[in-house]
Amino acid sequence: MNHALRRVALISLVMFVLLLVNVNYVQGFEASSLANEPGNGRTFTSTLQFQRGSIITSDQKVIAYSKMNKAFGEYQRHYPEGKMYAPITGYDTLFSQTGIEQTENKELSGSDPALAVHNLIDLITGKQKKGATVETTINSAAQEAAYNALKQQGKEAGVVALNPKTGAVLAMASNPTFDPNQLATLDGKQLNANDQKLLKNPNQPLLNRAINVTFPPGSSFKVVTSSTAMADKGINQNTSVFAPTQLKLPGVTQPLINFDGEACGDGSGHVPLIQAFLQSCNTVFGNLGLRLTGQQLQRQANLFGFNNPKLTIPLPVTQSNFPLYTDPAMRAGAAIGQESDTVTPLQEAMLASAIANQGALMKPYMVDKVTAPDLTTLSTTQPTVLSHPVSPAIATNVTDMMIQVTQNSQGTAHISAGLQATGGIVIAAKTGTAQNGINNSGLDDAVFTCFAPASNPKIAVGVVVKGGGQGADAAAPIAVAIIKAYLNAVGQ
Amino acid sequence: MSVIASPSDQPLGGGRAAAEQNGQAGGMPLPQGRRRTELLMLAFVVGVVMFAYANVGLGLNGKIPAGMFVYGLSFAALVGVAHVAVRWLAPWADPLLLPLAALLNGLGIVMIYRLQESGRGGNPGFVITTMSGKTTAFQVLYSTAGIAAFVAVLAFVRQPRTLQRYTYTLGAIGMVLLALPAVLPNSISEVSGTFAKIQISVGGFTVQPEEFAKLCLAVFFAGYLVAKRDVLALAGRRVLGIDLPRARDLGPVLIAWGVSLVVLIFEGDIGTSALFFGLFVVMMYIATQRSSWLIIGFLLFLFGAVVASELFAHVKDRFLVWLHPFNYVHTIGFQTVQGLYGLGFGGVLGRGLGQGQPYNTPLVQSDFIITAFGEELGLTGVMALLLIYGLIVQRGLRAAIAVRDPFSKLLAGGLAFTVALQVFVIVGGVTRLIPLTGITTPFLSQGGSSLISSWMLIALLMRISDTARRPAPQPIQDEGMTQVVRAG
Repeated sequence: MNHALRRVALISLVMFVLLLVNVNYVQGFEASSLANEPGNGRTFTSTLQFQRGSIITSDQKVIAYSKMNKAFGEYQRHYPEGKMYAPITGYDTLFSQTGIEQTENKELSGSDPALAVHNLIDLITGKQKKGATVETTINSAAQEAAYNALKQQGKEAGVVALNPKTGAVLAMASNPTFDPNQLATLDGKQLNANDQKLLKNPNQPLLNRAINVTFPPGSSFKVVTSSTAMADKGINQNTSVFAPTQLKLPGVTQPLINFDGEACGDGSGHVPLIQAFLQSCNTVFGNLGLRLTGQQLQRQANLFGFNNPKLTIPLPVTQSNFPLYTDPAMRAGAAIGQESDTVTPLQEAMLASAIANQGALMKPYMVDKVTAPDLTTLSTTQPTVLSHPVSPAIATNVTDMMIQVTQNSQGTAHISAGLQATGGIVIAAKTGTAQNGINNSGLDDAVFTCFAPASNPKIAVGVVVKGGGQGADAAAPIAVAIIKAYLNAVGQ
Repeated sequence: MSVIASPSDQPLGGGRAAAEQNGQAGGMPLPQGRRRTELLMLAFVVGVVMFAYANVGLGLNGKIPAGMFVYGLSFAALVGVAHVAVRWLAPWADPLLLPLAALLNGLGIVMIYRLQESGRGGNPGFVITTMSGKTTAFQVLYSTAGIAAFVAVLAFVRQPRTLQRYTYTLGAIGMVLLALPAVLPNSISEVSGTFAKIQISVGGFTVQPEEFAKLCLAVFFAGYLVAKRDVLALAGRRVLGIDLPRARDLGPVLIAWGVSLVVLIFEGDIGTSALFFGLFVVMMYIATQRSSWLIIGFLLFLFGAVVASELFAHVKDRFLVWLHPFNYVHTIGFQTVQGLYGLGFGGVLGRGLGQGQPYNTPLVQSDFIITAFGEELGLTGVMALLLIYGLIVQRGLRAAIAVRDPFSKLLAGGLAFTVALQVFVIVGGVTRLIPLTGITTPFLSQGGSSLISSWMLIALLMRISDTARRPAPQPIQDEGMTQVVRAG
C-alpha cells in the first residue's frame, strides 16, 4: 500500500501547490484590479480614514471639503454650496464618482504619484495623510449668477461660461440639478435611499446638461456657416448676398422660409451679409449651405470643436455633431442649425470664444492647479490652443455681425441683450431658436452664444434652454445675468 | 518522494534490534520519542498565539487586550495538558502534529476574538451580528473540549487495530449521524439563511454530526476495505481495460457511499458530500492500489457535479458565481466577492491584525475565515497557514507509510487525505479556484463540532504514528555475536 500512499502524498502536494499558486494570483497579481472594482467597500472606506482634499473656486471659495464625523469615525464630504456647484464638484460615493471628484480623485485622495514624497514624509513625521487641494477655474460670482438664472428660468437647461483668452471655465450650471450632500452621508442605508431617489427621478437631476446633453443649435450655427462662406467663398460682412423671402430647395416641395415668413432686409432679394446675420435670415444661410460643400461645412464645424468624442475639461464632454451632408436640401437645413446638428451648451460657448479670441479656440479646462497639503503647487494647467477655426480678419467680421445682433434695432437680441438690458455692456451674440419634435410640434429650444465686452472680450457664454421658445427671450437673459455678474466682479 | 519519508524515519518495526545496534555503531540514529522537541515547539506556539492576540488589541484600539494573561495561561495550560497526555499515552508519537494543530487552534481563537471585537471598543466598523460578545469564550470552551477529546481518544484507543473490531458498529453510527439532520424538522436542523440541513440545534446548543460521521466512516471504510481488499483487487472482470470487482464485494461500500451522498444531497451540503466521496475514492485506491479507482471516481464526481448543477438551483448558483462573481456582486455572489475584496485588500503583507475590514464579508467567522487571515496577515499569512496544513497532511501520510498494520495504514492515509481535501475544498472555494461549497476550515472556523472532531483526527494520527515509531520489545538476553569456530 506504500506505493499508493506515496501517490496520495503526490496528489495532496499538487492540491496544495494549486492553492498556493491561486492565492498568489489573487493576493499578488489580482489585488490592484480587485481594489479598483467599482463597489469595493474596503477601498472606499479606507479612503474615508483620512482627509480628502478640498475643491475651491478661483477666488478661493471652498465648494467641497472633508470633515471628521465622530459618530462614524470617518471623514465625511461636505458641499457648502449644495446644488450650486453640483455639476462641477460631482459627488464621491462607494459606487460611483462624478465631476472633479472623479477626474481628480487621485489628487484629492492623495494616491497620485506626485504626492508620494509628501505621504512618505507624513508617514515618518507621524502626520496624518491628507489629500491635495484642487483649485478650479470657476468664478463664484459667475457661477452664482448662472445657477440662479437657470433656477429662475426653471426649464431644463445648461450653461457654460468661458474665458475666451485662456479657455478657463468660469461657470457651468445645469438645471434640474441635485444636492451632492445627499450622496455624502456615511449612513449606508440613507445613502442608498437617496441614490435610488435621484436615479429614479424622471427629471434626471444627475445629468450635467452643460456638457453631457446635446441640443439642436438652431440659428446659432450661422456663426459657423458665415465663417465657412467667408473662408471658402471669400465674402465679408458687406458682401451682397441672395436673400429671397422663400428659398426653393432641390427635391423638396416645401420651400425654406424665414422666421414667421418675413422678408429678409428690404425684400429686394439681395442684402449685405451683416443684415442677414442680425436678422437671422434662414433663406440667406440656407442658400449659402446649398453653395458650400458638405466637406467645407464639416471641416469648419470640426475646427470649432464639433465631432470630437475625446474632449475632456477634464470632465468628459459629450460630442457635438455635424455629419457630412451630401444632399443639398439637407445641407441647407444643416447650415441653419437644423437636421442632425447637435451641440452641447459648452460647444455654444466655444463658438463665441473662438470668435472673441481672434479666431483661436482655446481648449476649455476647469482645473487651474493642484496644491499639496503643505501648499506647494503640484501642477498648474497651461492654457493651450485647441484649433484656429478662423483667421483674425474673419473673426473681426463675425464679431461686427454679432455686435449688430444686440446693437441694431432690427437685431434678434436687441431687446434682451442690448445696452439697456446689460447696463451699458456691449455684447456680441447670436441667437438660435431650434425647431423641435416631430413636424416641429414641440416647443422650440432657445439657444444663445455670446461674448462680452465686444471690444475686449473677457467672457464667452453658451446657453441652451430646452423648450424655452425664442433664443432671445429665454436664453439671452441668462447669459446677460452671468456677464453682468462676472464683469462686475472682475471689472470691465 | 523524499518529501514523505526520509531515510532516517524509515526503518521501523522489523529491523528494530539491528537498527539499534547499528545506531550504537555510529550508523542510523536511534529513533526517539522527541517529546522535548514537541515541548519546545509548543512553547513557541504559545508565544506566537499570544503575540497575535496582543497584536489584535493594539490594532483595534491601541491597547493590549484585557485578560491577555488569563487567555495566555489557559491556552498554555491546554496545550500543556495535551503534551503531558502525549508523554504518558503516546510517547513515541510524531512530535510535529500536536504543535501544528495547537498553532492553528490558537490562531483560530485569536481571529475569532478579532472578528467578535469588530466595531466594539472604539474600532470604527460594523458589528458582526452573527457573533456575540461571548463567541470567543465559547471557542475557548470548545478548544478545551477538543483537547479533552484528543486525550480521550489517546487513552481509549491504545492500539489502532482495536478500532477494526468496531468496523460495522462505527459504520452504522456514522450513517445515523449523517442521516439524523435530514430526518429532523427544519427548525432543528437547518442553518438559518442557507439550504443546509446539517445541524442539530437544541436549546441554543448546536452540533454538526457530519463532523463526527467523517471519522466513523473513515474507520468503517478502512476496516471494510482491509478485509476485502484482496477480492476487490483480484477477483472480478476486466471491462474496457478497467478491473471491475464483483458486485457482491462492492455492494456494501457502494451502498454506504450512495446513502451518504443521497443524505447529503437532501441536506443540501455539497462540500461535505464532495469530502466523503473523495475520502471513499482515495481509500479505495490505497486499499487496492488500482489507479482506475481514482479515474472512475473523478469522472463520477464531475458527472455528479454537472447533474447536481442542473437539478438544484443553489448548486447552479455556485457555478455561476465561480465563473462570473462580479456579475452577482449584490446577489448570490456577494459573499464570494467580499471575500475576494478582503484577500485583495490584504495584498502580500496584509493590513495587520485588527486593521482590515473582514466584517464586510458575511459569515466570515466560519466558512470564510481564511479570507480574514488573508486580509489581515496577507498572502504571507495564508501561505504560512497552508504550509501548516500541508505539514499535518505530510506527517499523517508518513505515519501511514511507517506503520505496518494495513488497517492503520489505510486509516492514517484516509484521515490525512481528509485534511488535505477539506482544506482544498474550502480554501479553493473562497479563493475561486473551484466553485464554493460550504465546509469548515479545520481548527480555524468558529464552532465546536469541527474543532472537536479535528482534535480527534489528530489524536488518531498520533496514535498511529506512535504505534509506527514505538521500538520493538528489547530482546531479553543479548546472545552476543555469532562466533565462527574454525575446526582444525
